[in-house]
Amino acid sequence: MIMKNPNHQPTASAEENLHRKLEAIDKRDGEVKAFIEVYREESLKKAKEVDKRIKDGKAGPLAGLVIAVKNNITVKGKRLTCASKMLENHRAVYDATVVERLNAADAIIVGSVNLDEFACGVDGTYSALQRTKNPLDLERVPGGSSAGSGASVAAGMCDAALGSDTGGSVRCPAAFCNAYGFKPTYGTVSRYGLADLAMSLDQIGIISKDKAVMKRVFEVIRGTDPRDQTTQLADAMLKKKPAETKVIGVPKEFFEGVDKHIATGVKKRIKELEKRYEVREVSIPTLKYTVPIYQLTMAAEFSSAMQKYDGLRYGFAAERNEELYTSFAKARDAALGKEIKRRIMIGTYITMKEFKDAWYSQALKAREVMKEEFASVMKSIDILAGPAMPTGPWKFGEKMTQLEMYAADMLTIAANLTGTPAIIEPLSSDFKDGAIQFYGRHFEDDALFHID
Amino acid sequence: MVNVVIGLEIHVQLKTKSKIFCSCPTNYRDVEPNENLCPTCTAQPGSKPFGLNKTALDNLLKIALALNCKIKDSSIIQRKHYLYPDLPSGYQRTSKPIGAEGNLGKIRIREVHIEEDPGRYELREGTVDYNRAGIPLIEIVTEPDMRSPDDAREFLDELAAILGYLDVAREEPGSMRADANVSIDGGTRVEVKNINSFSGVVTALAYEIVRQQNVIRRGGKVIMETRHFEEGSGSTTTLRKKETEEDYRYMPDPDAPLITVKQSHVAELGKKMPELPRAKSARLSKDFGIRPEDAWILVAEVEIADLFEKMAKKAPPQKVALWIRGPLKKQLNYRELTMKQSGLKEEWLSELFEMFETAELSDKAMEQTLIALFDKKKSPMKIATELDLLMDKDAGEIDKVIETVVNENPKSVDDYKAGNEKALNFVIGNAIKLLKGKADSKLVRELILKKIKEKK
Repeated sequence: MIMKNPNHQPTASAEENLHRKLEAIDKRDGEVKAFIEVYREESLKKAKEVDKRIKDGKAGPLAGLVIAVKNNITVKGKRLTCASKMLENHRAVYDATVVERLNAADAIIVGSVNLDEFACGVDGTYSALQRTKNPLDLERVPGGSSAGSGASVAAGMCDAALGSDTGGSVRCPAAFCNAYGFKPTYGTVSRYGLADLAMSLDQIGIISKDKAVMKRVFEVIRGTDPRDQTTQLADAMLKKKPAETKVIGVPKEFFEGVDKHIATGVKKRIKELEKRYEVREVSIPTLKYTVPIYQLTMAAEFSSAMQKYDGLRYGFAAERNEELYTSFAKARDAALGKEIKRRIMIGTYITMKEFKDAWYSQALKAREVMKEEFASVMKSIDILAGPAMPTGPWKFGEKMTQLEMYAADMLTIAANLTGTPAIIEPLSSDFKDGAIQFYGRHFEDDALFHID
Repeated sequence: MVNVVIGLEIHVQLKTKSKIFCSCPTNYRDVEPNENLCPTCTAQPGSKPFGLNKTALDNLLKIALALNCKIKDSSIIQRKHYLYPDLPSGYQRTSKPIGAEGNLGKIRIREVHIEEDPGRYELREGTVDYNRAGIPLIEIVTEPDMRSPDDAREFLDELAAILGYLDVAREEPGSMRADANVSIDGGTRVEVKNINSFSGVVTALAYEIVRQQNVIRRGGKVIMETRHFEEGSGSTTTLRKKETEEDYRYMPDPDAPLITVKQSHVAELGKKMPELPRAKSARLSKDFGIRPEDAWILVAEVEIADLFEKMAKKAPPQKVALWIRGPLKKQLNYRELTMKQSGLKEEWLSELFEMFETAELSDKAMEQTLIALFDKKKSPMKIATELDLLMDKDAGEIDKVIETVVNENPKSVDDYKAGNEKALNFVIGNAIKLLKGKADSKLVRELILKKIKEKK
């Protein structure tokens, strides 16, 4: 019941574990800036309660574990900023389902962590509030959009962090911060309380240096929730025992455009896997189109998700004494970042009557083709393997075009488009060596925790 | 004659305990503003719709069945995007058709679907009440089969009756909204919005038809536009012109579940449907031998039809029908009450009717007793006795009076014989005066005519 912290020092109690994490935060977060809010009082109180329950033998399955939560997931009464001026001073009025479940399992939520604004970004630099740095190299980006989730784990400030993954936003910071990152099958973890980016792509994921911790947390937060209708099948489907992993497929498309040393490292790892599994090269042609399919689908859904931010009910307040539509536009213009506005404009444009068939309808069709191709390949393949990210974390200020930024997602996106679960594992203790990524079959998430 | 083409889109609130996508209560008229709220119906960041309210769907299916629609196996919820203070998400959740290709009489129903009501925006005060946001609505879309405001009135009367029978729709003021589309002589179609009552629809149509005729008469052209119905003046006005045409960027809602309808479930609902107005009317006319036009009036409210059936077992049906649609309906209409709201029991009304039929009460006395019955709510015999309205039973007394007036008014009698009907009324009036009103005017007329014949 009492989890060892990732540095493998035995912890006697929840309080001790928490103190260790708070020490790390106090020592390093001044420069790392992973945290938006530290829930110091509440955590200390909870830790004491949890220790009592441990003593009474009544503690929950996550007793004593310290968890950080990406600040686009609601914690009742706490700031939910989504790293945006739009919600800078907004306090959530309810707990997300995953937060309810963590609390009930006796985990200690130590605070909220930074992200790219509304989860739109690939390196963490799009937060409108603060800049999170990679604890492993302060001149480099921590990855995004769950920047604070990756950084807080890497810096020993928590045992695990929740993030959200729409196109790789949990797996990218995990890779850049040299930790494990996991995106569950779409529909296994409730999104009730997760501020939407793209409703059909988003999934709450976990970052941790300890795979066993990750699995425990997943077991607690997953499952059917009537408040998120896309989880209807979760309980029934997760009951099924996954087939034993026998065959690993390696799509050749996964190695296109990848830094040479990462490709080499991943191929070496795959060679080691040949000892235990049959490894085959496969081809999934639609992988060529992952980025455009994703960009169009995501933008369309995002523009819809952002309609609610009109400055009337919460967040940045619209001017009251102005013509209605002028005040909406002014509030949104003032409080939303450039990348947000870009995505809203694209999403609005491609869903307009005149342009729908040119772009959005095509993306929807292509997505269906990709799903079919994956399903067909996974009939005879249990797991797909390849690199997690095409490059390592770049330095702050390094020039990248918009397209280059978007292309960084290219290896992770397909898991969101098809809904398959995916996990990334660091290749070594040096983040520069990169990470390997595994895709699984729908609802056979557990298989991903046991590849070795 | 001008050729008119009318189509209607009618939104009615469905009767449910909870809102369409969350567990909030639906009693928005009985609570303070912004009391029935939750993260979902106020579109808080991170909120999601819960499952579609099952009662709302069943209520919609019952209406669709009553409108003879084909029921689809499945449908999806879409997002209809526009910005407005009363719309928390910045989009309205509305489904694709669930029922289609139905009819109500000769008016075809194109489709019915389900959607969520927005909140209430008070434009002049700049305040919004979200208690109403998320109330489930059914939208009924007709084909443009109506050819006059009267066609619309007939259609809406029957629709209102059906909704009353099914008891699945809310009936308070403001629970329905309609948009009317109307064109004349194959010309441009104009949409009229903001109609909040069935009677308003008829008024709006009548006004709009005349307006369009006037435009053409003056040599102008009817512009395709959306107009706003002004309840107070019964007129339609141009809505502020928008720069671009409304593009709602409909998108399937990824958070909302697929709506699935099992045909076996539909069959179950079909079995439990009550006898509907049209069928009931035909049956009453056939079984009780009353005129179809009377039967149709009686079935407008199921409680009135039920009352008729009970009363017509004990008394001559055609007379009962006329009495219900006449004196009883007059009192209900005057008080703006439905039969149900009146609280009048069938046994009282049967008793009252019998007293009237057996001439224990004159027609005036019957009316007075009926009026008193609404307040006193007890046996009409007791009421009539208390108010001293009972007819003079003494035949001799009556005959004496008849004799007197006939004898005392020879000129009037002669005038009547010469063909002057009015002269007879004068004599009747005198007799009733002498009888202190406690005589049925029809009976008195008969007796006087008899007396006149005798005296020839």
